[in-house]
Amino acid sequence: MSEYTKPLPKPSPTSRPFWDAAKRHQLMLQRCGACGQFIYYPRDRCPNCFADELKWQRASGLGKVYSYTVVHRASSRHFMEPYILAIVELDEGPKMTTNIVADPRAVHVDMPVAVYFDDVTPDRTLVKFKAA
Amino acid sequence: MGALTDKYCIVGVGETQQMRPSNRTTLSMACEAISNAMADAGLKPSDIDGMTSYQVADSTSSAHVATALGMRLNYCLDIFGGGSSTEALVAHAVGLIEAGYAKTIVCFRSMNGRSGRRMGGQIPGGPIPAAMAADDNQFNMGWGWTTPAQRFGMSAMRYLRDTGCTTKAFAEIAVAHRYHATLNPKAIYRSPITIEDHQRSRWVVKPFRLLDCCTETDVSAAIIVTSRERAYDLRHPPVFIMGGYARTMTESPQWNYSRPVIHYVAGNYGWKRAFGMAGISHRDVDFVSCYDAFTFTTLIQLEANGFCGHGEAGEFVKGGRLQIDHELPSNLSGGHLSEGYTHGVQMVIENVRQLRHRADDACPGWREGKHTYDRAKGCRQVKKARICCGMAWGWENMASCLILRGMAA
Repeated sequence: MSEYTKPLPKPSPTSRPFWDAAKRHQLMLQRCGACGQFIYYPRDRCPNCFADELKWQRASGLGKVYSYTVVHRASSRHFMEPYILAIVELDEGPKMTTNIVADPRAVHVDMPVAVYFDDVTPDRTLVKFKAA
Repeated sequence: MGALTDKYCIVGVGETQQMRPSNRTTLSMACEAISNAMADAGLKPSDIDGMTSYQVADSTSSAHVATALGMRLNYCLDIFGGGSSTEALVAHAVGLIEAGYAKTIVCFRSMNGRSGRRMGGQIPGGPIPAAMAADDNQFNMGWGWTTPAQRFGMSAMRYLRDTGCTTKAFAEIAVAHRYHATLNPKAIYRSPITIEDHQRSRWVVKPFRLLDCCTETDVSAAIIVTSRERAYDLRHPPVFIMGGYARTMTESPQWNYSRPVIHYVAGNYGWKRAFGMAGISHRDVDFVSCYDAFTFTTLIQLEANGFCGHGEAGEFVKGGRLQIDHELPSNLSGGHLSEGYTHGVQMVIENVRQLRHRADDACPGWREGKHTYDRAKGCRQVKKARICCGMAWGWENMASCLILRGMAA
């Protein structure tokens, strides 16, 4: 297997539980204990009510494409073109930036998608999506 | 009207050529742009006592420039910022002069935006530095999300779906700004294009084609701000600062994708402040400038700033409305799409020249304000150029605006 040369996300103390869960092929979101809102990306306080009672909860992994682009000209030689960048709106509410693993001609706004875990290195798994 | 409306003026503008590549330092280019702006105003280095600049860790600093030009400054500041910074630094200058921190302030941007650090952060053809996928970038860069085209493309795609607008509206903007560039001897791209040329150009980041994307250039540009009283003695009639908003933000400003509607952009939160301060309505605006990193960014700012309703911008720009001699000329120098990329300064510079009635076009008498208005002969001066609204942004979630008034009819 050739070396993985794309940029690897580097977890912070706040985000580490998300990345550790991804490695176990689980999609974990924070949820506010005070107002109940699901939150993505990981943070220290609830952006909705400012409470500091955030807990990790496993998400369904289901959602739909909120928007997307098809990259025909990447800025780095490490990314193979064309590829699909997307914002996926999860059933729990938050939106995530991700890739859709699909034929670029097949993707569309509102397309139902399900989580797909891409083990890009032994230490790091990227959360991506495929057609549901 | 705002307490400071018309009390402060833009009195000098200047820039280098648009270059690809410059083979120069950002210091050298900044000194040339500021020297040109001083000559334009009729000022010498000892008349300038404040200097501000913006950059994204890709440029020289005010201290270096002041040293090279032999200036002793009462105020200097270099901020981290891109689009929307020009108008913010002009607002900043107004406040500083009013408060007595300085008398005459030059604001500059100097960048090797093509031959040096390009937007998106990479050295051309090289690897993305590993450090860039840390901290704030850990949730985008690993998936190959690094460039402005990708980010704005995401908003554009959703906008098309929500409004029924098509990419032909994008083409209208490309064609209008290119038409203006054909009248601008300084512009990089000067051949006219059609809607069909746009529709046939290759995909860069869908829904953006090549002709939706701005050029990248090496350039420096500068603007000098002073008080109305000092402006009277300078070379040109003053261009008055009527109002604006400066780096106004949406909610959740850093992570646009997490907002409820990603194409409900920052201008929506700012324009009532700018128009209220200026004491004008949209009907009073004779022409606009509208930050065109992409065609879509012009489109969306027109509706965000109230020139038309939400979702109506596609209809609004149809039929060449943004072209000179039509209802609302936009980016009269050709803008980022066709003139060159200055991170927003050149739009303010062009607006100043238009408001002075001294667009530097092919008319032999432009320096005296004598224009033919014959577009076939290369005149790019707007006939009625009294009030201009300049709209700029950095991202969807941050925007600035600068409403200016000239004295020429």
